[in-house]
Amino acid sequence: MAINEIQEQMRQACHRLLEEGKVNVIIGYGQNKPGTPAFPVFIRKPEDTEKLVWNDQCFSNLAAYLTRKDIKALGTAAIIVKGCDEKALVVLEQESQIGRNALYVIGIACEGVGNPSAAKCARCDVRMPRFADETIGQVPESTTPEGSDPELSAFLKKTLEERRDYWMQELNRCIKCYACREVCPLCYCNRCIVDKNRPTTIDTSSTLKGNFAWQTVRVFHLAGRCVGCDECTRACPAGINLRLLNLTLAEAARENFDGYRAGMNKEVVPLIGSYSQQDKETFIQ
Amino acid sequence: MSEVILKETLLQLVNAWIAGGKVVSGPAFVKEGVCLYTDLRNAEHLAMDGFIRPGDSIKKYFFPRHEKIYHYARTGQKLELTNAELTPQERIIVGARPCDAALLPVLDKVFNWDYVDDFYTLRRKATTIVTIACTQWDDQCFCTSVDLSPAAEKGSDVLLLPMENGYEVRCLTDQGRALFAGKTTVSENAALSPEGPERKFTEEEIAAFLREGYENPVWRDIALRCLGCCACAFTCPTCHCFDIVDEGNAQGGSRAKNWDCCQFNMFTMHASGHNPRANQAQRQRQRIQHKFRIYPEKFGETLCTGCGNCTRNCPVSLGVLNTLEAIRACGTTANTVENTGGLKE
Repeated sequence: MAINEIQEQMRQACHRLLEEGKVNVIIGYGQNKPGTPAFPVFIRKPEDTEKLVWNDQCFSNLAAYLTRKDIKALGTAAIIVKGCDEKALVVLEQESQIGRNALYVIGIACEGVGNPSAAKCARCDVRMPRFADETIGQVPESTTPEGSDPELSAFLKKTLEERRDYWMQELNRCIKCYACREVCPLCYCNRCIVDKNRPTTIDTSSTLKGNFAWQTVRVFHLAGRCVGCDECTRACPAGINLRLLNLTLAEAARENFDGYRAGMNKEVVPLIGSYSQQDKETFIQ
Repeated sequence: MSEVILKETLLQLVNAWIAGGKVVSGPAFVKEGVCLYTDLRNAEHLAMDGFIRPGDSIKKYFFPRHEKIYHYARTGQKLELTNAELTPQERIIVGARPCDAALLPVLDKVFNWDYVDDFYTLRRKATTIVTIACTQWDDQCFCTSVDLSPAAEKGSDVLLLPMENGYEVRCLTDQGRALFAGKTTVSENAALSPEGPERKFTEEEIAAFLREGYENPVWRDIALRCLGCCACAFTCPTCHCFDIVDEGNAQGGSRAKNWDCCQFNMFTMHASGHNPRANQAQRQRQRIQHKFRIYPEKFGETLCTGCGNCTRNCPVSLGVLNTLEAIRACGTTANTVENTGGLKE
């Protein structure tokens, strides 16, 4: 199905949902001009569904809005998701952050975002959303990629010193604007540990030490939870390769816990929420 | 008649400054697609094209993201305080954009107001700004709406205007003249004045809305998609709020000044747990109020240079320009009846 047909069907579905009063708000994408990044919009009137767009500029993972107070206040929501965004919904549900029954999910068949395609799209195996209430469009599903990400494999072949130097260079640019945290659908803590100041646990300063502390905490807190939507990487104004950092932990989860991948399976107990006597501890040294 | 310099000569000059022990900073690609102000290794390191403007601003050279103010050390009952050493390096910023250079006269006001901030002013004195006028702009640029232009001289020591094979050189201060003395030639030709982006609004109409539309519900609509990060403020040339923190332990450590930002929930959080700006609508309103009403009323300067970094760096493409456009589009300056409770919860 052509992209403009998908867009039209999506608008119709949203129009219907609002008109029938099934939902109060559609969390979707709007755009000022073709080819520019689409941005989140919150549509509350059926006639405004004309403002919704679907195209390869729909980067945002809109799941980040579901846990926000100001958005919850708008009432029952329908949300537009790509397959990768939908994985975040799975984790949010596993972690009891959203009630899936009170949410209407419109999944869109996705052939990749960005031009050229974003790095995550090259190894995507969720082009068709899997748990949506309604899915629009049809694209052939690609096969599950084998082995770890090539960028990660190449990186892990480097020596420890080379890897440290790389991260020193990358993280030195961090200005602690926390865009990485705010765009992340799974960074939903009411109060982030870096904002705790009675007493301060993590250096708030944007020094190399403080930046390492922040990014280490962030990525560890997302271990086995990060779904790889890469929004943090896209959001970073300093162009830090956060994707590579996230992949490292995702790979550790996959390798050590029977191929576990966050957000892929609704039925399994989440990695961080489970304990088994057979859990390996050899990687904690 | 104008003074001109060949591009090649300018680059040789950059190398000579570096060889002479000066720190020279300018736009450089830190990786593909990411251009930031960087300390240059040599003239080749300087990015001359392939970008509209760097993704950050030169404010970091005057007001760094982290700065130690003093150190403390305790031995037994004795507490010793030592001021942080401040000997700013002489720096030349080359290839600054006019919308960056313009931040200096604006921030001079606040950093020399009821207290003279030595950290800022000493660095300011040790820095020379060589600006290159813009020949390109994008949809996010709006310098012409805040009384600047692609060739604005404000804040620069030297303004270079691109022309064929080189630049027209306009030395604006003695500091600037010293850098280019004997390096330029006289030419019959002068650079063309670039027009710049179309004017999008007037500061007067925005100020009028801000005075009257304090409780306008449009702030709620504007702020809905704001995620509350500070990519806008930290890459903004003029945003200058900071936090004071202590880092160390009971024996010793330091007190430091760190960038802070009004879009963070924590920015106005009181120790009691009460937050006077409890939602993002109030925080967005504050940012725009500060830039277009509070600062102009207090210091006679708009706290915005129209660089567009806020929009370009925002993960959801929300910035000063589209906020002001939303304000203009809402068509009413009055507070509506349905919103008598204002933006409070």
